[in-house]
This record gives sequence, structure tokens and C-alpha cells, in this order.
Amino acid sequence: MKILRLENVCKSYGETRALDMVNLETTAGEFMVVMGPSGCGKTTLLLVILGALQPDEGHVIIDGEAVDDLPMESRGMGYVPQDFGLFPHMNVRQNISFGLEVKNTPREVIDQTVKRMLSLVQLSQHSERRPSELSGGEKQRVALARALATNPSLLLLDEPLSSIDEATKTHVRESLKKILKEAGATTICVLHNPEDAFALGDRIAVMNKGRIIQVGTPQELLEEPRDSIVKKLIATMYV
Amino acid sequence: MKDKISLLFAVGALAFAGFMLASGFYIYLIACTSWKEVAPQFLSGRVLGALFISVSSSFIVGILALVAGVPFAYFLAYGDFRFKSTLETLMVDLPQTFPPVTVGLVYLILLGSRSPVNIAFTFTAVVIAKFYVSSPFMVGFAARRFREVKARGLDLIARSLGADTRQLLFRIIIPLSRRDLLAGFSLTWARAMGELGATMVFAGIIPWRTEVIPTLVYSVSQTEPNTAIAAAVVAETLSIAALISLRRGVREKR
Repeated sequence: MKILRLENVCKSYGETRALDMVNLETTAGEFMVVMGPSGCGKTTLLLVILGALQPDEGHVIIDGEAVDDLPMESRGMGYVPQDFGLFPHMNVRQNISFGLEVKNTPREVIDQTVKRMLSLVQLSQHSERRPSELSGGEKQRVALARALATNPSLLLLDEPLSSIDEATKTHVRESLKKILKEAGATTICVLHNPEDAFALGDRIAVMNKGRIIQVGTPQELLEEPRDSIVKKLIATMYV
Repeated sequence: MKDKISLLFAVGALAFAGFMLASGFYIYLIACTSWKEVAPQFLSGRVLGALFISVSSSFIVGILALVAGVPFAYFLAYGDFRFKSTLETLMVDLPQTFPPVTVGLVYLILLGSRSPVNIAFTFTAVVIAKFYVSSPFMVGFAARRFREVKARGLDLIARSLGADTRQLLFRIIIPLSRRDLLAGFSLTWARAMGELGATMVFAGIIPWRTEVIPTLVYSVSQTEPNTAIAAAVVAETLSIAALISLRRGVREKR
């Protein structure tokens, strides 16, 4: 379990300041939710941590070491995008084993890990299915298993519940929390829905216009919202 | 009013379809009406020779387009450099609109008897002339598909899982683009089969050496019309068969 620290991270697209002096620190094994309205810079923050975007200023630090110069493939982070991004030409087992195979992991270790991951996400019966044959919740679990199989230093989730229909959302949310607790991975999860954020996050970082305006546990945010934006977001849960 | 427009559209569509079908398939009607004279020409040495040169040179062009065009398409899709769209216009769009005769002339000056590398009027010249005109089809198909894969973020995921460029290419991008590469190959091949202008100027019309089906049709259309008709039927049938079989293969894999 690793610790992430962001130091004064800035990122602009032309004139638009997507990230403005972002400072954030996780604890080991924590589920940190980054919440905010659309276009506030949440996904940019995730992509900067992942290494897909270079920050204009500031540093991304993992366990005390800056990883700014490390390419994405060497950062060892698990990434689950909004649409889960399963490789459509591979079945569930092949999707999960991909990250281990590209690192030349011995076959027996791959087989054991895939078996363990399938069991963790309760999809052992579906190992030979293609992504097109899975439901939204199942796709999400495969994407999680694929990301966790490589034992990532950090797990990055981008709106993991946005493709899940309302009827199964509560169940999927609970299952997501359970899987990640069992895996013990430090997780940064971007969400726009306050209800999901409060249900999932050990702590929540509220973002607006590229800045983090408050970080705290759900309880702290409810009791002492520091800003009108935070109050407004919390209020939407009770509408 | 709405019906009148529908009627006009229907007439326009029918006129277009009629024109295209007649232009494409009338040669078969001509061949059938003078079958006795045309039939022996199918096995004439000159038609077979031109057919061999056409098919083999077009196949080589297709392979070269795969080998060189696919890496170029990768850089168009994934590269981040200035003047990318200008480069794409120059390398993909322009060769499809540039008059092939002028391309042939450029090669003749550049690689003909006035240059130290004199390869004009050879089989290599046939391949080079066809390559310039045909390979952009491969690059266009490949680049479009590579961009679709990129837009889905699959490259980011593969990279985050530890894949290097080789693994990303051969395990994700190319397997997901196989159908489009096949379609690009078939169109490149078919376009190369039909290329006339650049080949004629740069490679000439030397039977059994540089004469391809289109140049044969051109050179004998006035003097030996039956040979020209037989050659045209062979070329067209091969192109149609290749396109149908490859497209069927593409559809089946979908």
C-alpha cells in the first residue's frame, strides 16, 4: 500500500487552467474520492497522476519519490476509465492476465493471480466470456480485477458508477467497496455524484475550477462545509 | 412538395446508379455479344503476361503499403508533432487527387536515364508508380482505425498496465484494426490493378516486362479491340472478386 502526494500541481489547456495549485495527500490503503461538478478538473487530475498528462508545474510523489519523469508504463498504477476500457478482442481471463503477460510474469503465477482475481470479483464462471457478453456491473468488476492483478501502487478510478443503471447501483457500489477493501489498494476515485462519493469515500476532496477547496471525511464535510460549493453539493443529496 | 422532392431524389439516385452500373459492367455485355472473337484472347500470351505483371506488382504494392504505410498511420494517429495535418494532406490526400501522369513524369526525371539510378521501364518502376497512387488507401484506413482505438483510451489502459510500444501495437492496436488493414490492403491492391497514367509514363508499355492490364487495354484498344476487351474483362473480374471476397471476410469477422 503506497502513499500519494501531490505538490502544487498545475495544468493548463491553452488559456484554461484545469488544475490550479493542487495539493493532496492520501494515507496507505485509503479510498480517496475526488468530487466536483463537470469540468472542474477531476479527470485531468487523474490523468496527471497516471502519467498520461505532464503537469505544467508541481510534482506527483509516490512514497516520497517524485515520479514526474517516469512514463506511464513504469508507474505501476491501475487505471479504470469511465467506460471500463476492456479490450474487446480478449475474453475476461485474457483481459485480467494482460498486465502480467506484458511484464513476462511466469505462466503459473499468471494463472494463480487470474484465479484469485476472478474469485475476488466473483466472476469465476465468466472467465471465457467476451466483454460484449457482460453487464455493466460485470464489466466494472473485470476492469477492477485487471487493474488489481498487477498489484498497483495506486488505483485510479474515473467515474466507476456512471455506466451503471440506477436499479443495480447500490449493489455495485457495495461490491466495489468490498472488493477494494479486500484488495487493500490505495484508491483515488473521481465521482461527480455526492451520494456515491459519501457512500464510498474514506475521505473526500471537493474540487471546483481546478482547485481543491476542502478535504475531509464524509462526516467532516457534512458537519463543517467550508465553502458554498461544498454546501451546494451536499444539499443536492437531499433534494 | 415533399413528394416532389422524393421523386427528384429517386430520379437522381436512379440516374447515378444506372450510369455507374453501365460504365462498370457494359464491358461484360460487349464481351458476350462478340464472345467467339474475344474468347481466344483470354489465353493469348500478351493478356496473360500483362495479367501476371499486374497481379504480382499490385500484390507487392499491397505488402509494401502494409509494411511502410501502417507505421506512418501509427505516427499520424499517436504522434504529437507540428504540421501533422499538413503532412497527412501531402501524404494521404494529395496522392489520391494528383494527376498520375505527372507523378510518372516526376519519377521519369528523378529515376530515369538522366539520373544515376536508372530504373525507368522496369518492373521496379511499375511497382513504384503504383505505390505512390495506391498506398494512401492503406494509410487512410489504418490511421482512421488507429484513431478510433485511441479515442477509446485503450492505449492508456495498456500503457498503465505496463505495455511498451511493441506490445501496445501487436497485442492491442493491430488485432483491433485487422479488419480495416485487410480492407485497406484490398483497396490498395484494386487501385494498383487499375493504375494507368504513372505506370505508362515511368514504366512504359513493354510486353512481358512492364505491360500491365490497363496499359495493354490502352495500347491495343484501336488496333486489337478483342484483346482489349478480354484484358478489360479479366482485370475487372479480378478486382470485383478480390473486393467481394475481402469484404466478405471483413464482414464475417465483425
